[in-house]
Amino acid sequence: MIWLGFRQQRTETLVAGAVLLLLAALFIPAGVHLASFYAQDNVAHCLAHKSPACAQTLSDFGGRAGVLRSVMPWLTLLPGMLGVALAAPLVLDLENGTYRLAWTQSITRVRWIAIRFSLAIATALAVGGLLALLFTWYREPLDKVFGRFDGSSGFDLEGIVPIAYVLFALGLALAVGVAWRRTAPAVITSFLAYVATRLFVDGWLRQRFVTPLSRTWSISASGPAPRSLDNAWVLYSGLSDRAGHPFSGGYAVLQACGRVVYKGSKALNAHCLARHGAGFNTAVYQPASRFWEFQGIETALFAGLAILLLGLAVALLLRRPA
Amino acid sequence: MTAVETRGLGRRYGRTWALRDCTLEIPAGSVTALVGPNGAGKTTFLHLAVGLVDPSAGEVRVLGQDPRTDAAVLLPRVGFVAQEHPLYKSFTVAETLRLGRELNPTWDDELARARVGLLGLPLRKKVGALSGGQRAQVALTLALAKRPELLLLDEPVAALDPLARREFLQSVMEAVAESGMTVVLSSHIVADLERVCDHLVILGAGRTQLAGEIDEIVAAHRLLTGPRADAGEIARRHEVVRASHTERQTSLVVRADGHVYDARWELHELDLEEIVLAYLGREVSREREAVAS
Repeated sequence: MIWLGFRQQRTETLVAGAVLLLLAALFIPAGVHLASFYAQDNVAHCLAHKSPACAQTLSDFGGRAGVLRSVMPWLTLLPGMLGVALAAPLVLDLENGTYRLAWTQSITRVRWIAIRFSLAIATALAVGGLLALLFTWYREPLDKVFGRFDGSSGFDLEGIVPIAYVLFALGLALAVGVAWRRTAPAVITSFLAYVATRLFVDGWLRQRFVTPLSRTWSISASGPAPRSLDNAWVLYSGLSDRAGHPFSGGYAVLQACGRVVYKGSKALNAHCLARHGAGFNTAVYQPASRFWEFQGIETALFAGLAILLLGLAVALLLRRPA
Repeated sequence: MTAVETRGLGRRYGRTWALRDCTLEIPAGSVTALVGPNGAGKTTFLHLAVGLVDPSAGEVRVLGQDPRTDAAVLLPRVGFVAQEHPLYKSFTVAETLRLGRELNPTWDDELARARVGLLGLPLRKKVGALSGGQRAQVALTLALAKRPELLLLDEPVAALDPLARREFLQSVMEAVAESGMTVVLSSHIVADLERVCDHLVILGAGRTQLAGEIDEIVAAHRLLTGPRADAGEIARRHEVVRASHTERQTSLVVRADGHVYDARWELHELDLEEIVLAYLGREVSREREAVAS
C-alpha cells in the first residue's frame, strides 16, 4: 500500500523534487559565493563598526546577491504551488471515479484515507523543510546585514514557516477538492485562496502578532539610528516630538528649517526643527530578537488552519454519499 | 442461502430517491441480471451492496453481513467492477496487478497472470493506452483475482463493441463455472443477459418491478390478444402487466396465475426481452399518467 500511495503521487513528487533540485542548483553556488564575499569584504567587521566607508560596504553587499535576491519574493509562491500540487492526485481519484476501484478492494476506506493523507502530509513536510533549509542557509550572510525580517523574502522563506505554508496549501486544496471533485478548478481556486491568505497575514496581521516597540531619539545627535533598530522590522519611522508624537507641522515648517548646505541641496536644521516640535525621530518596530517568536506564531497559525482543513477533507470523505 | 438481501432499501440524493423501497433476495450461486433503464437505481443498488454508499432507508445484507459496519471482513469476499471500469490510466497493466496484490490479502496472483496471459494483455503497456475491451478485462481480472464469493458488475458491457462484449461475458461465465460464485450484473441491454443469467431483477423508477428465476418468469408471462375489450375480468385472476388497445384489438401482457381459460383471448409466448420491455413500458405509462393528472 505504501508503494501504491507513492505511485499515485509519483508525478507530483517528481515535480516537487525537480523544483527543489533546480533551486539547489541556483542557490547553493550563489550561497557559496555570497559567503565568500561576506568574508572578503570584511562585512562582519563593518557590522560592528559603523564608519561611513562601512555603510557603503554594507549597502553594496546587497548588490552582491545579485538578481537572485530580487527573485526571492516570487519564490514565496512556491510553498503554495507545491502544496496544492500534492493534493492533486487525491482529487483526481475522486474526479476520475478511481476511488471506486480503491475503496472496493479489501482495504477499508478509513485505512485508505489514513495512508493517502499521511503520505501527502509527509511529502509536504519534507518539501517545506528542504525549501526552508536551503533558503535559511543561503540567506545567512544577508540576514546578518539586513535582518531576518527583510522584506517578504527573509521571514517567509526561512526558519519553519515554509513548512506550515506547504501544509496549509495542501489542506486547502484537499478540502476544496474533496468538496468540488474537479481537480483543475479546485487546485487553481485553492492556490488563489492561499495567496490571498498569505497577503493578508504578510501585509496586515503579522505586524500585530505582538505589540510593537517604539523608540524615539534626537536627530541632533546626527549619528545613525540606535542599535536596537539593527535588523529590526521597522513598521513606521518619521519625525516626532520628544514624546514620540508624530510631527504634524507640514511642509511649511520643513521649508523654513531647511538651509542650503550645498548647491541645490538642503539639510534640515535640527535646532529649528526642535523649536517646531520635531526634533526627534520615532520608529515603531519589531526587534530582530522576536524572529523566532513570530515564526512560532505564524507556524502555529498556518499549521492550525492546515489541520482544520485536513480534518474537514477527511470528514467529507468519510461521509458516505460517494 | 441468499447472497444479497434487502428490505425496504432506499437511497435518497437530496430530495430524489435513486432507489426506493427495494425488497429482494438474490440467491447464492445465481447469476442475476439487474435490468432497468438509465436512472432506474441499478448503480445505486450495487453501490449500496458494496458499501460505497450508505442506505437512507431500510437495510441491505451481503453474504450475511452489513456492508457499512463489516467492510473489513466483507470487502475481501466481494469483487466489484464499477461502471466504465475505472482504472489508473497512468499505471501499466503490471502495476495495476500489483495494486490488486497489495490491496487484497486473498489475491490469487497465478490466476491474475494466467488471465492476463491468456487474453494477451501487454503487461508493460499503460492502461490508458489499452482498448475499451482490454480495459474491461483488466478490471474484471482485478475483481476475479480477489477470489470473491460475490461478483458485482455495474454495466460491464455497456461501452463495449459486440465482440468485446461477447468475450467479456464469456470470461464471466468461465469464472462462474470454475468457482461457483454468485454474480450480479446490471445492464440496460437485455439481449446479452439471457445467455449468461439465470435470475432477473427488473428495477424501474427506483423500485423493484419484478424479481425471479428467468425460466419461471418466461413461463409465467403471456401475451393475450383479442377483440377490443376491458381487461378487468382478466385482471381479477391474473396480473396485467401492460394493456394496449387499438381501435379493434386489445393486447395484454399478463403474469398468469396458472392457465388462462378464456376463449376470447388468443395466447402467445413472450421472450425475455419482450417481458422486460412490458415492465419498463408500464413504468413509463404510469409516469405519463402521473404527469397528466
